[in-house]
Amino acid sequence: MLPWLLLLFPASIFAAETGKTHGVSPALLSRYVPSTVGSEKTWSCLNGSKTIPWAAVNDDYCDCPDGSDEPGTGACSNTVFYCQNEGHIGARIPSSRVRDGLCEPECCDGSDELPGVCKNTCKEVGAAYRAKVEEENKIRKTGAKIRSSYINFAQKEKSRLEEKIASLEKDISAQEKEVARLKDIADRTESLSAAALEQKKQSPLYQSFMTHVNALKSLQREHKKHLEREKILEDILDNLRSNYNPNYQDMAVLEAVRGWEAQAGLPHINDVGKDGASEEEEKAKAEEESQEELEPGMWSAGQLEYDLDNLLGTDYETLLLEHERHIGAPASGSDSILFDATAYIPDALLPQYVAVRSMLLSWLEALGLTHKAPSDAAADTSRAQQAAKEADNALGHIKQDKQKAQEELSRIFDPEWYGLEGEWKKLHGTCIDKDTGDYTYEVCFFEEAKQKPNKGGASHSLGRFSSWNDADGVTLGSTEYYSRMYYTRGTKCWNGPHRSATLLVSCGVENALLSVAEPEKCEYHFKITSPAACLPLETTKESRDEL
Amino acid sequence: MRDLTLLLLTLVALPAVFAVKSHDFKTCSQAGFCRRGRALAERAKENPSWKSPYSVDPSSVAIDSTTAAFTAGVKSSIYPEVKFGLDVRVHRDGVVRVRMDEIDGLRKRYDEAASWALVAEPEVSQDIQWTVAKDAVRAVYGDNKDIEVVVAYEPLRVTLLRNGKEQIVLNGEGLLHMEHFRTKEAVEQEKSGWALPEAPEEGLDLDDAQVVMQMNPRSWFEGAGDDALWEETFGSWTDSKPKGPESLSIDVNFPNHGHVYGIPQHATRLSLPTTSGEDAYYSDPYRLYNADVFEYLADSTMSLYGSIPVMHAHSADSTVAIFHAVGSETWIDVAHPKPSSTHTHWISESGIMDIFLMPGPTPADVFAQYARLTGTSALPAQWALGYHQCRWNYISSDDVRDVQTRFDEEDMPVDVFWLDIEYAEDHKYFIWDKKSFSDPVDMMHDVEEIQRKMVVIVDPHLKRTDSYPIYQQAKELDLLIKKKDGQEYEGWCWPGSSAWVDFFNPASWDWWKSLFKTVSDGDKWAWTESTENTYIWNDMNEPSIFNGPEISMPRDNIHYGGWEHRDVHNINGMLFHNMTTLAVMHRTDPPKRPFVLTRSFYAGSQRLSAMWTGDNLGTWEHMAVGVSMVLSLNVGGFSFSGSDVGGFFGNPEPEMLVRWYGVGAFSPFFRAHAHIDTKRREPYLLDEPYKSIVRDILRLRYSLLPVWYTAFREASVTGLPVVRPHYVVFPQDEGGFALDDQYFVGGSGLLVKPITSKDVTETTVYLPENEVYYDYFTGQTYRGAAKGKNVTVPAELHQIPLLIRGGSIIPTRERPRRSSPLMKYDPFTLRVALSTGGTARGELYLDEGETYAHREGQFIWREFEATTEGKKGKEIRVRSRNLAAQKPGEAVDGVALAAYDDKNDFARAMERVRVERIVLLGLAAKPKSVKAAGKDVDWEFKAGAAAASKAEGSASVLVVKDPHASITSDWDIIIQL
Repeated sequence: MLPWLLLLFPASIFAAETGKTHGVSPALLSRYVPSTVGSEKTWSCLNGSKTIPWAAVNDDYCDCPDGSDEPGTGACSNTVFYCQNEGHIGARIPSSRVRDGLCEPECCDGSDELPGVCKNTCKEVGAAYRAKVEEENKIRKTGAKIRSSYINFAQKEKSRLEEKIASLEKDISAQEKEVARLKDIADRTESLSAAALEQKKQSPLYQSFMTHVNALKSLQREHKKHLEREKILEDILDNLRSNYNPNYQDMAVLEAVRGWEAQAGLPHINDVGKDGASEEEEKAKAEEESQEELEPGMWSAGQLEYDLDNLLGTDYETLLLEHERHIGAPASGSDSILFDATAYIPDALLPQYVAVRSMLLSWLEALGLTHKAPSDAAADTSRAQQAAKEADNALGHIKQDKQKAQEELSRIFDPEWYGLEGEWKKLHGTCIDKDTGDYTYEVCFFEEAKQKPNKGGASHSLGRFSSWNDADGVTLGSTEYYSRMYYTRGTKCWNGPHRSATLLVSCGVENALLSVAEPEKCEYHFKITSPAACLPLETTKESRDEL
Repeated sequence: MRDLTLLLLTLVALPAVFAVKSHDFKTCSQAGFCRRGRALAERAKENPSWKSPYSVDPSSVAIDSTTAAFTAGVKSSIYPEVKFGLDVRVHRDGVVRVRMDEIDGLRKRYDEAASWALVAEPEVSQDIQWTVAKDAVRAVYGDNKDIEVVVAYEPLRVTLLRNGKEQIVLNGEGLLHMEHFRTKEAVEQEKSGWALPEAPEEGLDLDDAQVVMQMNPRSWFEGAGDDALWEETFGSWTDSKPKGPESLSIDVNFPNHGHVYGIPQHATRLSLPTTSGEDAYYSDPYRLYNADVFEYLADSTMSLYGSIPVMHAHSADSTVAIFHAVGSETWIDVAHPKPSSTHTHWISESGIMDIFLMPGPTPADVFAQYARLTGTSALPAQWALGYHQCRWNYISSDDVRDVQTRFDEEDMPVDVFWLDIEYAEDHKYFIWDKKSFSDPVDMMHDVEEIQRKMVVIVDPHLKRTDSYPIYQQAKELDLLIKKKDGQEYEGWCWPGSSAWVDFFNPASWDWWKSLFKTVSDGDKWAWTESTENTYIWNDMNEPSIFNGPEISMPRDNIHYGGWEHRDVHNINGMLFHNMTTLAVMHRTDPPKRPFVLTRSFYAGSQRLSAMWTGDNLGTWEHMAVGVSMVLSLNVGGFSFSGSDVGGFFGNPEPEMLVRWYGVGAFSPFFRAHAHIDTKRREPYLLDEPYKSIVRDILRLRYSLLPVWYTAFREASVTGLPVVRPHYVVFPQDEGGFALDDQYFVGGSGLLVKPITSKDVTETTVYLPENEVYYDYFTGQTYRGAAKGKNVTVPAELHQIPLLIRGGSIIPTRERPRRSSPLMKYDPFTLRVALSTGGTARGELYLDEGETYAHREGQFIWREFEATTEGKKGKEIRVRSRNLAAQKPGEAVDGVALAAYDDKNDFARAMERVRVERIVLLGLAAKPKSVKAAGKDVDWEFKAGAAAASKAEGSASVLVVKDPHASITSDWDIIIQL
């Protein structure tokens, strides 16, 4: 491609006459006509700022402040050149590409360069273009068909959800009545016992008990904070261990890596892979070894993690009343072994035991395996309250269900979610992935994007769905809007941002993840195709013609 | 657990601040020979009767019968048994070379530094005569016999005088000391002799040290004389120093010069602040020891990536310079005993003394003298002056294509896309990582489509794996640098375990060159996955070695010829990039102009390469010091230099990035680069208004490419720098001697002051003369004064303070293009800025831009001139004349043409390129007519201040439209007032 060669001996260098309307787009053609003042032909710059001789139009010298006098020479910067491309479709190129010696692919008629420099290739280019468009249209057509099935799905979902909401509404009004009824009963019994209960609550045992409860809750809160912190630090150290540059021989870093490996029972990073044992195994082994012997009655870490919430969720008032009853009524044969066991349990463990027991009991009751023990008035109150509360809870659940369904329904056609036509609804939760060698990348639509190492190790979240392309200047619901999908706030990078992924969406007959790139540290670009992005041909016909 | 928690917390709490790891690098007090050298200077200062022990043996003086050279024996009174030899010669251009070496010593001192730095063996004068007197040898020369060089015998002292005034004095302070080779045993033996005084006199109240001092007859000069002679540790490294002490100390004084410049590379002011004496600005001497300093300081004497041991000394009276051809670590103390004089003290670890005294007396003379020694900056390929876009890393061939597309969509010019180390599989340079660069040649072809180039990195460390053909071959050919035990040296760098090619070994040269061929010659390995438009970036060539002492190579490593690394350390990086440059140049036949960017360099590097200031930080301080560093490199003869736009580390805010583009656009080498951890910051990613401002800056650079290219031509022939600090242009104007934040572009008359601080809306520009200066963009006039004057110039974010000196003609090309080769046939605009005297002058040099056809006469070199003529100055003529025909011998670098053929192919091809516009600033009145070739041409006139008047405000502007003037021919345009 050396059009220069052709330029070496041009016929006449200063007299390259250019047509006055060369490079003018069809819409402006009518304005490129001279006015005649006296014997002179003149012309006004398009913005009216200046009148120049007609001869100065397209004379390869920029006269007009708005650059409009040189549509065809590139003499005025920041203007637009139009090539007609007969046999193909017209195109606009910036003035910087006019007469630069390169034949612009956009101008197959070669009009962007001086005559004789570029061949007219519009016939071939036009044919190739049409073939390409046809090919694309084929994909578009197929894709659009699938897309319309997605839309159908969304419609069905809409009906289903609407029905569900209607039925939930009925359930709600029924349940509301039930709650009202039970509340009424509870209120009445409570008014009798409320005073008594208050009295009982003043017991030093209960007071101290509640203090313990609060302390335990606070401990739990702090514990959770520490766990989170530890996780972050573990991540940092894992990253440090696998990513530090051993070449710099920084003793402080090496020390930290070695220390962490010893603490976490990991093999030295440089030795990994040398023997058979995989890192995961080593880690598991180390964890096993570190299992300490528990004193009897002490909770294990697992219990702390999973059972403590239940324990703290105990209804202490009920417990108080049960306790009263327990103190008041010595053990009778009517209780099963479960009810009796308290007698054998050391006092220190009693509260926990009681809590667990009451929990067990309520499950047994719910399952119809046991019946509540006979009770006194206070217990009656508590039970009535319990019933009202449970009914109320149930109501809450139904309401939540309804709210969820409503939200789902509203999202179906919310442009910020599943699109104006709900075309993306079908794909919620659908996952696509790509194996790039070291990693497999996965994204589940509207949920999460992930990076999973193929050679083992923890996978990283690259973020959860946050929005479509909501950049400035992008119209909500436009094609451009759905050309990007953002997943943000993934696992934090060591010494960097939270990982995030941007899906670059284009039309394709399959939901597929084509490629993954990391143009900046911890910011990933997924190129994906989806039929949901295939607009039916008719809707975009106009915009194509404009090209 | 607690300990671990503490450790964790410490790690988390690590502040995210930038900081150099100072403890990785030596201070003078941590380098034995520097400590000894400074202690020597200290003893000299405290001893009023100090006298250098070195003297010339008058009987040994042997004057060459045909040339201005003599040799003489030198003795040291403290080591009378050791012989030294002195060799002094005067070159044809008056430069004096003074060499001293140890004769018949135990070993040989390294004496090849000059052979790598010099462009050729300098011609010794055959006219100048030495005359021998009782106490000295002297020579008087120069056109007016104004220069005299005196070599005094006792003590040895070399003085260069002009008009009887001392210019340069060697050993004036008596700090010359060449540590001779000795054995450890001999020293021990001698010491044991001192330690056993036969009969200590009773009653004398002397402590042990004094006893030793008393017994050691050399202690007045050498001190205890046993400091770190045989082994030295720094951090966890031990330098075995098998040759023992061999350092060299010499004082170089400029008794009548108050400013010294040069000895790059340091992040400091252009006019070097003091390091010793009262109220010294720095505490450590300037250090020259090529090193990869991570996150270097913006104000320090620490050594950086390259070293050029050349220093200018300047006063209103004269400019002189010295060049010390030494390749080992060198420390230089600078002091001003009084404001108008300068003392310097050079302390080197090894090597002979090989000092060139350049007599000047003007800056231009000094540049020419230095250029005759080490060569000029080669004329670069023209595209290399365009904008370079780099990042660590563009991650795939599609990424590169995408970056190119984005530039084109935004209509921002760019010439070169760069690939950093991640293109290479496992950092095995030349070997593409096919996972991300599956189609490298296609990718380059896509870049070439827009007449652009690519630059790809090739570092000097080779991954030590037999599956890497380059390493395998280097090993087989026995080309790798050795440890002191003769085994292959292994160090750590990007690829992990690595080895280094010894480019001092001539056997490596052809082998290295063969690697860059784009077509394979038989079964030889060649880089077939590159193209002739693939150019090279040589980084890490200090060499940078992650686990080495001071992040570099052990000094006791062995190079070709048995020299230790310490002897050649500062030269090492230059050999690598020189070989790469030659490889790139000769991969085609006929050769094409190469482009190789290097981080490490030495005197002479300018002949073949471009350099940048390494891994700077994204801070205002680094942006500012980048400007003075580039000026300092230009003083050191290395014109083709620049600093990374945006700062390598960190994420610059948009304002900072915009200002940095302003700095880059006025640097000889203009590249944006960014660290892998930074956010992407290609200019098209900026928001408005920043994006448009940067687009304008890029286009400004491109429109001024004719000015830059013309300046590079001049540099390539005369040695004058491409960017010129004030003292170079106005050597008599004291007010400009310390200026290093504003400078001139070549000889064009453009004066620029890039803004390098935040929130600036206006700035002060110093005008050194009684002349009118015009704002380049607005034509606003500023009037200077003979004694110098500060004027206030607007400097909002979208403005770059850029003035045209009255009396200049600036040729530009103002049609934005995507890349510089696409401007080849674009027309010119001439900005004629009339002086107060009504004249102006400018130059334009053009050639094909990529080949060496210019050395065969294929170029055009024009002079533009404006004069005011006629009675009452009513006629102004602007004309174009053929400079090439007037001075063919001075037109291009590398060859003196006997004649110029103005019908050469290039000139013929350019005939159709015209001057489309002449913008004349400062005309006294509206013209009555403007005629070209006797015919009226179109013009417009805007009234305003005349050059000759005292009026402020906008200058009058005459715009002449299309004066039918070809860029290749002579023409006259006549303006009648």
